[in-house]
Amino acid sequence: MIRLAIAALVGVVLSLLPPGKAAAQEAGGPDLQSILQQNAELVADASRRTVQDVLDILIESGLPEVPAFLATWQARELYQRESDGLFFYVEDPDADPLTLLDITSGEAVGTAGSREVAQLRPNRGVQGVIAAALVQFQLGSDDPAERLSALASIESDPDESHLAILRDMMETETDADVRRRVEALLPALVIAFADEDAPRIEAIQSLAGNVSLSARATLNPLLATTLEVAEALPEDRNVAAQIRPGRDALSVDDAYAMLVDAGLAPPLIPRSERVDVLAANILDGRVGGVPVAELNTEDARDRAYAALVEAGLADPAPTEAEVAEAVRSYVFYEVYRESSAAVTTAARETLEGIETRVGFYRVLDLSLDGLSLASIYFLAAIGLAITFGVMGVINMAHGEFIMIGAYTGYVVQSVVANETLSIAIAIPLAFAVTFAGGVAMERLVIRWLYHRPLETLLATFGISIALQQIVRLVFGALTQPLTPPDWLAGSVSLNDVVSISSIRIAIFILGAIFFVLLWLILNRTRLGLEVRAVTQNPAMAASMGINPDRINMLTFGLGSGIAGIAGVAIGLFAQVVPDLGANYIVQSFMTVVVGGVGNIFGTLVGATMIGSLQKAIEFLNPSNTLAAQTYMILFVILFIQFRPRGIVALRGRAAGD
Amino acid sequence: MRDTIFTRNRSVPVFIAILTLLAIAVTILSEAYGTGALSVSFTKVLGMTLCLCLAALAMDLVWGYCGILSLGHFAFFGLGGYMIGMWLMTARTEVVIRANLASSPIPPTEAEISQATALQIFSVVGAEDWPWMWAVSDSLVLSLLLVVLVPGLLALVFGWLAFRSRVTGVYLSILTQAMTLALSLYLFQNDTGLRGNNGLSGLQNIPGAEGVGQDRISIWFFWASALALGLCYVGAAWLVSGKFGNIVRGIRDDELRVRFLGYPVEVYKLVVFTLTAMICGVAGALYYPQAGIINPDEIAPIASIYLAVWVAIGGRGRLYGAVIGAAVVSLLSTYFTGGRAPDLNLGFYRVEWIDWWPVLLGLGFVLVTLFAPKGLAGLVDYLVRKERT
Repeated sequence: MIRLAIAALVGVVLSLLPPGKAAAQEAGGPDLQSILQQNAELVADASRRTVQDVLDILIESGLPEVPAFLATWQARELYQRESDGLFFYVEDPDADPLTLLDITSGEAVGTAGSREVAQLRPNRGVQGVIAAALVQFQLGSDDPAERLSALASIESDPDESHLAILRDMMETETDADVRRRVEALLPALVIAFADEDAPRIEAIQSLAGNVSLSARATLNPLLATTLEVAEALPEDRNVAAQIRPGRDALSVDDAYAMLVDAGLAPPLIPRSERVDVLAANILDGRVGGVPVAELNTEDARDRAYAALVEAGLADPAPTEAEVAEAVRSYVFYEVYRESSAAVTTAARETLEGIETRVGFYRVLDLSLDGLSLASIYFLAAIGLAITFGVMGVINMAHGEFIMIGAYTGYVVQSVVANETLSIAIAIPLAFAVTFAGGVAMERLVIRWLYHRPLETLLATFGISIALQQIVRLVFGALTQPLTPPDWLAGSVSLNDVVSISSIRIAIFILGAIFFVLLWLILNRTRLGLEVRAVTQNPAMAASMGINPDRINMLTFGLGSGIAGIAGVAIGLFAQVVPDLGANYIVQSFMTVVVGGVGNIFGTLVGATMIGSLQKAIEFLNPSNTLAAQTYMILFVILFIQFRPRGIVALRGRAAGD
Repeated sequence: MRDTIFTRNRSVPVFIAILTLLAIAVTILSEAYGTGALSVSFTKVLGMTLCLCLAALAMDLVWGYCGILSLGHFAFFGLGGYMIGMWLMTARTEVVIRANLASSPIPPTEAEISQATALQIFSVVGAEDWPWMWAVSDSLVLSLLLVVLVPGLLALVFGWLAFRSRVTGVYLSILTQAMTLALSLYLFQNDTGLRGNNGLSGLQNIPGAEGVGQDRISIWFFWASALALGLCYVGAAWLVSGKFGNIVRGIRDDELRVRFLGYPVEVYKLVVFTLTAMICGVAGALYYPQAGIINPDEIAPIASIYLAVWVAIGGRGRLYGAVIGAAVVSLLSTYFTGGRAPDLNLGFYRVEWIDWWPVLLGLGFVLVTLFAPKGLAGLVDYLVRKERT
């Protein structure tokens, strides 16, 4: 397969060559097979020393099939026919008989049994030389794309031989893209393979302030250390630090284990092993004079073992004092694998500079993460900010409106295949569906319970579990797909540290739009004025000619409708399951309460605080997002003790009491 | 007749009589001591239902009498279960480990047994040492104390913080719900020492009673649950019948007025909140050995809401209402979700109860809230009034 692919590649390269040149080669000059036949001996029994001569001849020939040939040779897939010494590729190395392919045309030219041909197996050294030649050949190509792919293969598998080639390229390369790539690649190769310190240090310093992963991956191995032990600190080694067992990261036991491994101290006898020794020396129900039944304390075991040692039946185990003494009499130290102190110093300083910058970007990335989480919480909570915050209705079914919004998106998407279009339809449709649901719920249930807020909680909880179960019955309990459009699938990254997915940016923007829109509705429209009036004093509002029933109905519908739109957005990144909303309900209530009930600005502040706080806690303990949530909730509980009315507390008459 | 709690609250003698009759009936029908008409698993269901009734009783005290809609009392219930579960699991595992190590040539040390027990219990979460909270798990007496103390202490601290800053009404409900969520998330973590989402299991095996069959253990736990429910019912009736009860009811109806009358409202609320949390802990400690397993899912916020709903359906502010609500709803739930209820064939659609029960239950909550604020116990009022006229 690989061979066929190479043949195809060769065909492409051939067709790229100017026709005149190809024709000239066809007419005159030796073909690949004849060149090889002239050097058959060197090809068949290649050694590291001699193979370069053949390679030089091949490269000089400028034949277009040479790279494919070299690749095949290196991969040990080249065969030589015993009868006439000609070289062939084969179609399938496992087949018998083998189908031989011509090395120039790639056409089948006959078959041979596996006895009739010899597979050429260049050794590792020869393979390395061939690979270098191959890269060199590709780098010499006229096609910049070819050169770039050669550079990519160097990057993934750098070798000492590449260094000189790249240095040459820096002088001669004209294509800007290729040159940039070489420039980026060269320091890593210089650091890894250059002989002298000066260019390496220069290369290290050229990476200063470079926060990319590859720069850090280049520098970090330079600072890799190994832990060693000796009687005194060695002068001629590049020692990173001396380690004091028991005080630094190394425990006394581990230090002693190192001594044992190095043959500098007798081994400890672990407890399990000691028990085995005791068990092997039971004599008439006694071990070393101690009855077996009494051996259920460490003390008795010590005595029995000591007796065994005295009788020469067991190895003496070092005591704790001996262990401590042995550890004290040796020096433990970490030594750099890199032998040059100047290089490690330069690397450490450069890396410290880089880490500072990386730290800065991490904080930036964390803030973006926090903001993004905040906007999700905000989206989930903003509908609640209206129904609970403004109207004072505890709607436990709020999460189910979010869920219904997400399912609306799913249904629309299963009808309209185009993702962008389907989302554009789903958003207003989700609003319409949940608005209608909200209005129906307000008319049928909630309006009877305005004076019994705690019971609203129970009734809406009943609605919540009924809705969840109905959706489960209709759509099943499994996750349904709601795919974001392609233009939302990627992510925007500033560098290797800071990146944020497009969908989160979209959610952030959506949250911002909602906030502005709602703020305008509540503060700048007739409806908003009436909502605020009814909230503060329904009786007075009614006597001013406002119909509180209508306003309550519309407000509740608005809050529910917004939850529906939030559902579409949340469904794009979360899993669309029947209990999607239930996962957000407690957080949403906390967001509203922390922010301050009664105004959407408070919800914004609350969401920002909870979102960034949670991300910050996660950063301190990255392995455990559950713990972050736990501590965040604890913080919220404590926070409410000190600001029971939330961050943005309403004052005066607007507070309602 | 002397003025006792039995004469002051007419529901007490009736309730105790019914409970006693139930206990006698179950014993007569049980496999262990009677005809065997009741299966072991159904005996356990009945015993567990009594524990739920006890939790509902506590919920009625705190919500129906004191007006605090706590959405955290099932968390206290679960905590009680965890506290006794730690002892059950430790003691049981230790017995098994001792039996395993008995055949080794050298008798094991206590430290080795403890280490092997810990490894056995915690290897599912990748740990091998005893977490600090298991420090007293080898002592039954201390574990029993923890059953009451841990929920009580948590309720005391939480309540003190909340009542002190005058968080009331729906805000308190949300706060208690947040506490419940935090607790369940905490327990869900593998490294917090309570085996994460594996929970504690094998709790039906009672250490020290290895030779006793589950048939007898189930009836013992049924008796214990009935006894606890009876005692707490009498205690609760006594508590709400006196001056304390009047003040607590006053707080429910108008907290501000009671405060202005000079009563330390916070203290009363704190006492009720903490006391009921302890009762829930006891109920949980009786429930989970019958259930056999406890995991953090049990503590999820929704469980506490269900508890409140039982009380609402049964009827608040009258102790027997809570018991009726919890018993009726939880038994019906067991019946309909247990797969025994025959499917209803409507011709065009086949109603499968497992699927439709939550829908009916949810709509039932709505209807009860809207049309029967007094709950099922309202029926009792109706009957009593009829009798008098």
